[in-house]
Amino acid sequence: MSAAPAVAAEPVPKKPEPVWRAQGRAFFRAPGASLGLAVLVAVALAALFAPWIAPQNPYDLASLDVMDATLPPGGEGFSGAVYRLGTDAQGRDMLSAILYGLRVSLVVSLTATVVAASLGACLGVLSANAGGRLDAALMRLVDLQLSFPAILIALVLLAAFGRGIDKVIIALVAVQWAYYARAIRAQALVERRRDYMEAARALALPRASLLFRHLLPNCLAPVIVVATMQVAHAIALEATLSFLGVGVPVTEPSLGLLIKNGYDYLLSGKYWISTFPGLALVVVIVAINLVGDRLRDVLNPRLAA
Amino acid sequence: MGDPPRRAPPALSRNPLTDPRMTLACSPPTSTPVRRAGIRRSAGPAALACLLALGAGSAQARDLRMGLSAEPTSVDPHFHNLGPNNALRRHIFEGLIDNDPEMKLIPALALSWTARDDRTWEFKLRPDVRFSDGSPFTANDVIYTFCRVPLVENSPSSFATFVKPFTAVEAPDPLTVVIKTDRPLPLLPNNLTAIGLLSAKASGAPGAVTFAQGGCSGMGTPPKSTDFANPKVAVGTGPYALKEYVRGTQVVLTKNPAYWGRPATFDTVTMKPIPSTGPRVAALLAGDVDLIESPAIQDLPRIEGAGFSVAKGLSNRIIYIHLDQFDGPDWKTPTIRGADGKPLPANPLRDVRVREALSKAIDRKAIVERVMGGVAQAAGELLPFPLSGTTQGFPVVPYDPKAAKELLAQAGYPNGFEITLGTPNDRYVNDEKIAQVVAQMWTRIGVKTGIDAATASTFFTRRNAFAFSAYLAGWGADSGELSNSLNSLLLCFDPATGRGFTNRGRYCNREVDRLTIEAMGTFDAQKREALLRQASALAMQDYPLIPLHFEVSTWATAKGLRYRPRIDQYTLAMDVEVVK
Repeated sequence: MSAAPAVAAEPVPKKPEPVWRAQGRAFFRAPGASLGLAVLVAVALAALFAPWIAPQNPYDLASLDVMDATLPPGGEGFSGAVYRLGTDAQGRDMLSAILYGLRVSLVVSLTATVVAASLGACLGVLSANAGGRLDAALMRLVDLQLSFPAILIALVLLAAFGRGIDKVIIALVAVQWAYYARAIRAQALVERRRDYMEAARALALPRASLLFRHLLPNCLAPVIVVATMQVAHAIALEATLSFLGVGVPVTEPSLGLLIKNGYDYLLSGKYWISTFPGLALVVVIVAINLVGDRLRDVLNPRLAA
Repeated sequence: MGDPPRRAPPALSRNPLTDPRMTLACSPPTSTPVRRAGIRRSAGPAALACLLALGAGSAQARDLRMGLSAEPTSVDPHFHNLGPNNALRRHIFEGLIDNDPEMKLIPALALSWTARDDRTWEFKLRPDVRFSDGSPFTANDVIYTFCRVPLVENSPSSFATFVKPFTAVEAPDPLTVVIKTDRPLPLLPNNLTAIGLLSAKASGAPGAVTFAQGGCSGMGTPPKSTDFANPKVAVGTGPYALKEYVRGTQVVLTKNPAYWGRPATFDTVTMKPIPSTGPRVAALLAGDVDLIESPAIQDLPRIEGAGFSVAKGLSNRIIYIHLDQFDGPDWKTPTIRGADGKPLPANPLRDVRVREALSKAIDRKAIVERVMGGVAQAAGELLPFPLSGTTQGFPVVPYDPKAAKELLAQAGYPNGFEITLGTPNDRYVNDEKIAQVVAQMWTRIGVKTGIDAATASTFFTRRNAFAFSAYLAGWGADSGELSNSLNSLLLCFDPATGRGFTNRGRYCNREVDRLTIEAMGTFDAQKREALLRQASALAMQDYPLIPLHFEVSTWATAKGLRYRPRIDQYTLAMDVEVVK
């Protein structure tokens, strides 16, 4: 039997399609999720390029003029500048303030999520693999953490630390790591009994390699889902903290602080100070949740059935 | 001193008591259903009676519900020298002397007072005055009160300083009190307006009380501050008596039928703390309360548009910025850095040119118009004219950013520097917003300004620990005359004598001290005022602090009610008039 004709006759066996591409196609089959992703990309770009597209730098106090305070949308300031979404009580252009506020909200929530997810994932894998007392201790800590309302823990931490973006991030990490630890541990308990783990153990691989090169990567699907949802949660939590006056500094408002500034004016009919940042917040959170929902469906084969 | 009619209401021509149509509870409900529901809820079965009474014209209960911006921390009149407490106190416990809305002294339980020599004051008490429990008021109650004031435990802000200079308090007869002091105290009558008089009997001292510095005798066991939540202990001679005090919920007062002066207008007065401005305005608009204090300035047009009336009156409170002017071997001003972000070798605020520049950089007119909605008055000195010791037309520092920049350059800071401005965010009207606008204006002349805003308790703790190089705060002169403001804000900081105790910028000019201290010891009112004017003019030349504006206090009332504004910002049921 000659090999050459056989090779020539049969088509080269196609490389199997990578899983992620199939999942990607499945993701875009849902129009809502596609829309959510598109909005999210647009918002992220707007936030990223805010310094170039915003008409004003709302964090530079010298560029604000109190004589232009609380102008309605489309109002014209003393210097002739037109404020499309109006101004707040400091004479801050609302459009610029929202773009910069999105930056703060996204940076805070993404950083907090990445740190919390890494921390939670490591602890979760460790916990699942070690079992016994360490597992019990860590999981009771998680139980304890989850039994307190997140906002309460964050409030106490910020009351102790004071205001500041870095401090808000620390507070968010402190309240969110437990979700990841819990999710990862559950997945790791299943994965560690799989054959490939048996094989790895049989090869006597070092423990760190076993945990972080073999076990962890195979547990990431639930983390991605949890993380997407938690980003939305972190944005809402940061907005709440700023609304309550313990979040970011007043001279560098995030969306929550902008809403709070406008809250004082709601009764007097100056709706735009609260409403526009509020809408921006809703749009971002809904978009993230749409994407997160779809990701959960796509990455979890059990739900597909 | 004569005996003018007590709290004579000049604007009230008709006696509301005799005119049932003027009653509040029966004033025709405004059109909203919410308002009607509110009346039904509060009046209960009385609502029907009320409707009948409208037709029949017979008299019935008249209630007042007030929404307060801050809650009294105790009913004890000597526990906490704080606005809401002092306002509540004036309903229940009267002083020897009282302030009218313009802060002039008027006789209350003392009919007259005279300085017999520069260390002896004699007070003639009002005869035939009874406490709300029916017992007579005598000189013994006065002595008891002065003995009890320093005994209050854990007082956050004590009244003891007012009685500390007393060396003797005697009662030659039941209607005369003689007070001897260790130094000349021309302002003693002003100080005594702060102290509400207790009933010795109701406080557990039925016998005669003898005053002695460092420990009186015959005191029994003085009640604790918390005991005053009990109406049997909280007994005074005021127009109202305590019915109920529930911390965080409400204070209920009832009319004192035995009151010696003009009878109280309302049968019950309910004070509800509603600290957030929005809900307070909403409560008024919905008819849950009949009067609120300090509605948000931005809501005033809406409140007036809805048919409610707004009362405005200049207050004795100045909003100012204190600048740290201290320097010493182990002191580095905490929140200033050079334009390059590095520490500066010296505190720039010690240079009067820098302070002048910071003052000239501020557009007070813009703050008053844009941030305060016109409900404020730009300030040049520490109290508004015509209060005692002030000067008519005292110049307000003009807005001149160009001159400010030049002054900075002359002082050696052509590129400015960086500073953080501390501010409370829930203490004064629009405090945090004002601070942000000041930061804008300073940044524009090159002084890059950050804001450190915190809730009042945190802010004041840090302020008192000198944690700010510059901070925004307010000062209301309770005595209604300038020596109080100078003494607290500008005299050299000296914990030993208590002078300059709120001067956390630690400005110090010995000549200002000398003039003010001399004024505080001068009995001749005209001479005293002249000295104070001189001290004020001298001090303000140094730009010791940056005066911004005087707050204008506001009240909003339901239809049929009118509030008579008070300079001291107190909200008193006695100053609520019923109008048609």
